[in-house]
Amino acid sequence: MNKLKYYLLTVLFVTVGVFAQQDEEQKEPQAGHTNQNKFKQLYDEFSTPNMYRAASGAPGSAYYQQQADYKMDLELDDVNAKLYGNETITYTNNSPDVLQYLWVQLDQNMRARDSKTPLIQGSGVNPAAQISTYANTYMSEGFDGGFNIQEVKGANGKPLKHMINRTMMRIDMPKPLVSGAQFTFSIKWWYNINDHVNGRGRSGYEYFKEDDNRAYVMAQFYPRMAVYNDVEGWQNSQFWGRDEFALPFGNFEVNITVPEDHILDGTGKLTNRKEVFSKDMMKRYEKAKKSYNEPVVIVTQDEVVEKIKTKSSKKNTWKLYAENVRDFGFATSRRYIWDMMAVKIGNKDVMAVSMYGKEGNPLWEDWSTKAVASTLKSYSRMTFDYPYHKAISVHAKQQGMEYPMICWNYGRPDKDGNYSDRVKFGMMSVIIHEVGHNFFPMIVNSDERQWTWMDEGLNTFVQYVAEQDFAKWYPAALSEGQSAYPSRRGPAAKITRYMGGDQDFIAPIMTKGLNTYQFGNNAYSKPGTALNILRETVMGPELFDYAFKEYSRRWMFKHPTPEDFFRTMEDASAFDLDWYWRGWFYTTDYVDIGIKDVKKFYVSTKATKQGKDIIKRFGMDEKDLVYFVEDGSEEHTAGMKSESISNNSAPLKEYLMDNFSAEERAKMKEPKFFYSVTFNKPGGLVMPIIVEYAYADGTSKTETYPAQIWRLNDNEVSKAIASDKEIVSITVDPKLETADVDTSNNAWPREVKQGDFDKFKNKVKN
Amino acid sequence: MKIFKWLLILSIITSFAFVSVHKYYVSITKIEYVKEKKSVQIISRIFIDDLENLLKERFDKNIVLASKTDETIIDGYIKEYLLSRLKITINKNESNIVFIGKKYDEDVVQCYLEIENIKHIKSFSVENKTLFDVFSDQKNIVRTNINGKQKSFILIPENDKGMLNF
Repeated sequence: MNKLKYYLLTVLFVTVGVFAQQDEEQKEPQAGHTNQNKFKQLYDEFSTPNMYRAASGAPGSAYYQQQADYKMDLELDDVNAKLYGNETITYTNNSPDVLQYLWVQLDQNMRARDSKTPLIQGSGVNPAAQISTYANTYMSEGFDGGFNIQEVKGANGKPLKHMINRTMMRIDMPKPLVSGAQFTFSIKWWYNINDHVNGRGRSGYEYFKEDDNRAYVMAQFYPRMAVYNDVEGWQNSQFWGRDEFALPFGNFEVNITVPEDHILDGTGKLTNRKEVFSKDMMKRYEKAKKSYNEPVVIVTQDEVVEKIKTKSSKKNTWKLYAENVRDFGFATSRRYIWDMMAVKIGNKDVMAVSMYGKEGNPLWEDWSTKAVASTLKSYSRMTFDYPYHKAISVHAKQQGMEYPMICWNYGRPDKDGNYSDRVKFGMMSVIIHEVGHNFFPMIVNSDERQWTWMDEGLNTFVQYVAEQDFAKWYPAALSEGQSAYPSRRGPAAKITRYMGGDQDFIAPIMTKGLNTYQFGNNAYSKPGTALNILRETVMGPELFDYAFKEYSRRWMFKHPTPEDFFRTMEDASAFDLDWYWRGWFYTTDYVDIGIKDVKKFYVSTKATKQGKDIIKRFGMDEKDLVYFVEDGSEEHTAGMKSESISNNSAPLKEYLMDNFSAEERAKMKEPKFFYSVTFNKPGGLVMPIIVEYAYADGTSKTETYPAQIWRLNDNEVSKAIASDKEIVSITVDPKLETADVDTSNNAWPREVKQGDFDKFKNKVKN
Repeated sequence: MKIFKWLLILSIITSFAFVSVHKYYVSITKIEYVKEKKSVQIISRIFIDDLENLLKERFDKNIVLASKTDETIIDGYIKEYLLSRLKITINKNESNIVFIGKKYDEDVVQCYLEIENIKHIKSFSVENKTLFDVFSDQKNIVRTNINGKQKSFILIPENDKGMLNF
């Protein structure tokens, strides 16, 4: 058999020779070039590994991270929608560096009257404006947001020098903070809480006119320590409103005073449950801890309807304590219905919790808590066991925002309690997504300010897996006629419209969120899909899942960078993926692989013209070789048949007899049909070529040529196919799993597909 | 309207950074001239939420899109609205655009429109003011494929027209 292969090689050799001669005729001197190969390693893009971050992608031997512990007393003024706070921060310098100053983030200042956020938005004058728009745009001063910093003082009670640069505040310490030392200081502040529905925002209140109440979902409500680390120093990128947060881990002791009739939940363990719970609530809570299948309602809708008829003037303080979290959020209102259910994660019970107003029902009482529980199970399987004791989903209009143990989610039926599939699956998806954020970035704590995709992309990927699980575990969540969860993001075919779109409005994934044109596609859909394709098509779930879990495990409760992720995925799978990261993450290239040409060949014992040249050149005899004749070529004669030549070629027969036993010969393939298939690649991305060969007898075979097939020619490659059955059609990417943006060139013979427009028009006509 | 007022005051467009709620107002309209059929084929993709908001404000505040009910009346509104917002001039004559219908594709409404009996195109101009009346930051991207030439326009309230000469 080796000899046969040699003959095939000879054909190639001759072909190459012809090209070489053509090249020699080229007179124009050619310019040199640098290594532009798509498989070039990422040494130029990646920073050099060091003691902090190892080449394997794991934290290095000298890896460190800072710690910020908070003690806060908060009071909500529900009448005037103000929040007052007094916080003490203890900052531990675990870095080897001496710090001259500390930076604290004042994210609320993005809403201050002197915020620069509106100034970077392009705007124009409309030909006409409504009176109200005109008045509010050009005549009103707008919302008076932002922190009012009342005092900043040291542990000794003396005022500390500080300077505010927009959304950041520098604290000047009396003496530099050396490695290993701690610094304690406190800040007293208040601010006007914004209406998150009408002003838009990740936190704030929603106002309910019918009962004159607010529901508060509160976050980035306190001055928060910025991250200092080995890659950025102090995080110095301001909060413009889009790119989210970079926060150190720490412990939080938070006391929140709210009206007595409010229900409150937030990050951390409630340490004074008996003080704030009624006896009924306590009983129901104990029941919920043992209920694994159905949520137990702690505060019922009827109780809420009764309660909101009045407003209590008394106050209650809810005390929460959280360890090893990067942030703190809470929700409070007298309008909240509250339910809980236990979920087993590993050998531990976690509480899945939901809080919602009555307008969320019936959707929320039916599905929120179950979606939370299901998400924790899926994500724990894909990463590590959920380490916190609870996860809360709070209903808030138009929201989808995540904090440790708590998140806000949209999805509201209409006034009569009816909802469309869009609302239902929108709600389930957003809950799965935001609860999933507990893993990325709350625990695997990437820098959201720099790299939106690191949490959103990874989270969107696992969200897809979790959505599919959810429908399997809760088939009742699906609508009539559905057999799987209708995920919006994940499947390869769903990203082609974006990736094949106008290049002027596409940015590489490795771009800061603020500077991307299509934030959702750029930071969520594309990286999420890229990982899904990597898992299902390029690496396979076994290799991928091990490496992905390893990344999650290595970086849980730490601060990874993109390279730590890229490196770990390769290190833990023995799969060099530099080409994949380069193409999918560092460029805006897209996938488009097609079939350029298919040639059919006949095998013959009679020397062709080229065959004769070879015989002459190597001093061979005609019967030493077999010859391939292209269908339709000059030497192709009408009588040629697709047949095996072992009966016609005496030397081949002899060779087989001499070298193989009768048993071996019986098992041998007898190829009769020979093809040369040329694949071309109009798209810039290199990807495996997945090809389905369909045979005349109705069977088919799928072959995958690894992406490296493109390493020497980025435009086209050919494969010789020897088959004992006639091939009737060839399809590239038959299951649409590579995100090929143009499938019109994927089939041979070329299928003339009816365009979308004609299809629709015909359907309407009929 | 309240939401849009505040939006303008604060201009915190960038804070729309929540997953699944699309954060920008964009429609994409593909216009292709198929000479053999003497037809200009138009497919306009608009976010369901945006169009629903618009229809609620303009026609009927009880409108819910993609709710699996009969949408004949809604189709009538969409037709009336789109034809008043989209103007195409071919060879200096304003074209008669036919609204064929619409279908839903996840969170997008895909509207099909056609201009018939176009034997040749020497000049082409398109004006697309869809949703400019509700979203001040609406962008309408128009991609044309005419006489083998592809071109992309971004139409905004201050510049709502694209022109091509062949």
